[in-house]
Amino acid sequence: MTCDQVKEHIADYLAGALGPAEAEELNEHFAHCAACKQEAETLAATWEALGLLEQEQPSEALRPRFYESLEAYRQGLQAAKPEPVRHRFFDWRLRGFQLGWSAALLIVGLIVGQWLGDRRHGRTDLARLQDEVQHMRQLVTLSLLQQQSASERLRGVDYAYRVQESDTQVLTALLHAVSHDPNVNVRLAAVDALHRFADSPAVRGSLQQSLVKQDSPLVQIALIDFMVDTHDTGAVSALSSLERSSMVNKNVKEKAVWGLSQLQ
Amino acid sequence: MPETRADNVIMQKVRDGDLAKMAVLFERHHRALFRYFTRLTGNHGFAEDLVQDVFFRIMKYRATYRDGSPFTSWMYQVARNAYLDGVQKRKNETPLFEESVPEPASSEPDPSEILRRRQDLGLLRRALAALPVEKREVLVLSRFQNLKYDQIADILQCDAGTVKVRVYRAIKALSQIFFELAGEKAS
Repeated sequence: MTCDQVKEHIADYLAGALGPAEAEELNEHFAHCAACKQEAETLAATWEALGLLEQEQPSEALRPRFYESLEAYRQGLQAAKPEPVRHRFFDWRLRGFQLGWSAALLIVGLIVGQWLGDRRHGRTDLARLQDEVQHMRQLVTLSLLQQQSASERLRGVDYAYRVQESDTQVLTALLHAVSHDPNVNVRLAAVDALHRFADSPAVRGSLQQSLVKQDSPLVQIALIDFMVDTHDTGAVSALSSLERSSMVNKNVKEKAVWGLSQLQ
Repeated sequence: MPETRADNVIMQKVRDGDLAKMAVLFERHHRALFRYFTRLTGNHGFAEDLVQDVFFRIMKYRATYRDGSPFTSWMYQVARNAYLDGVQKRKNETPLFEESVPEPASSEPDPSEILRRRQDLGLLRRALAALPVEKREVLVLSRFQNLKYDQIADILQCDAGTVKVRVYRAIKALSQIFFELAGEKAS
């Protein structure tokens, strides 16, 4: 085996995938070629060291995000499903029949509605309708927030204003956007949208954590404004750590000092 | 990652309209995909977005999955496309890896001795980040994702011999960067 042939076998050597004959040939070569032997040992040491790097785990938010998008996708498909095509021969008869029935049912419905006019039932129907609308808004918001395009995600943040303040799924998605969205504009819009949820201790805590980890000075400044606007005195320790850190952007540091003066 | 026949069967069911089975594929593969993207991008948030995107693409393009083709290779092809598109979209945003490529060290200490003595995983992580992405990718696939060379060849759409050469070049480049960093630190 030549030195060039050894290089062709290094990948198998590292992965432990050499056949017995090839392994023997390689060892024979190493016995009289110190350069190849040393290179193989060095590369094997690097290869082994790679195996010692920690195995990172995804955050707990990933799983619910997936299941929400799966559900939204399935519902979207269901909604887009075309009506089954009817046989043309019966089409005119069926349509006439349906039209007649619809008109009859409408008249009966109106009469019965007027006579009975049960307000309680009316309220139940209205509540159900409102629930459905809320659910639809939630789905649209969550689905938009997971789009590839930043402008679609911005639309998702905009839609978040239409859901109820008690909607924890949208709240989680907005908090995720503030900390992890690759686009700074989406992050800034999500910070604004979270003003409605500012009374929640979970929101405050999450934003305090995000403030320290943010890589965008603009978002950090927006978060400090948020904390001052909402009189979040719990943010003092996060602001102090920004003030002390030598890695923080100068403008952010000045803003943190200002924030501390407002909250203390 | 062992290729299971069950993955192929499940993917066929997804393709034929049983979208609920996506949950099985997600539970089996999302961690491996997350690690793949984390090693490639060095950014957890971006890696999670890409994992999400891969499963969305699998649903969207499920009709393109062919009977009997290995699911894992197909999934990583989808993952590569998601990664390339994602990087393209992020072009003007925050850089993914903060570490810069090191300057070569002036003196050259004994490489194997340094590695044995220090086992400095922080330096190794920086060296991996400094590696050009095509080299990092082939190492990630072979070392971290435990894929066989013929599977990687399917994903990269080349032959297994080419993959082996690329692995050799990548691990050699990684070692060089590592020892340059170690030399800088020592000097």
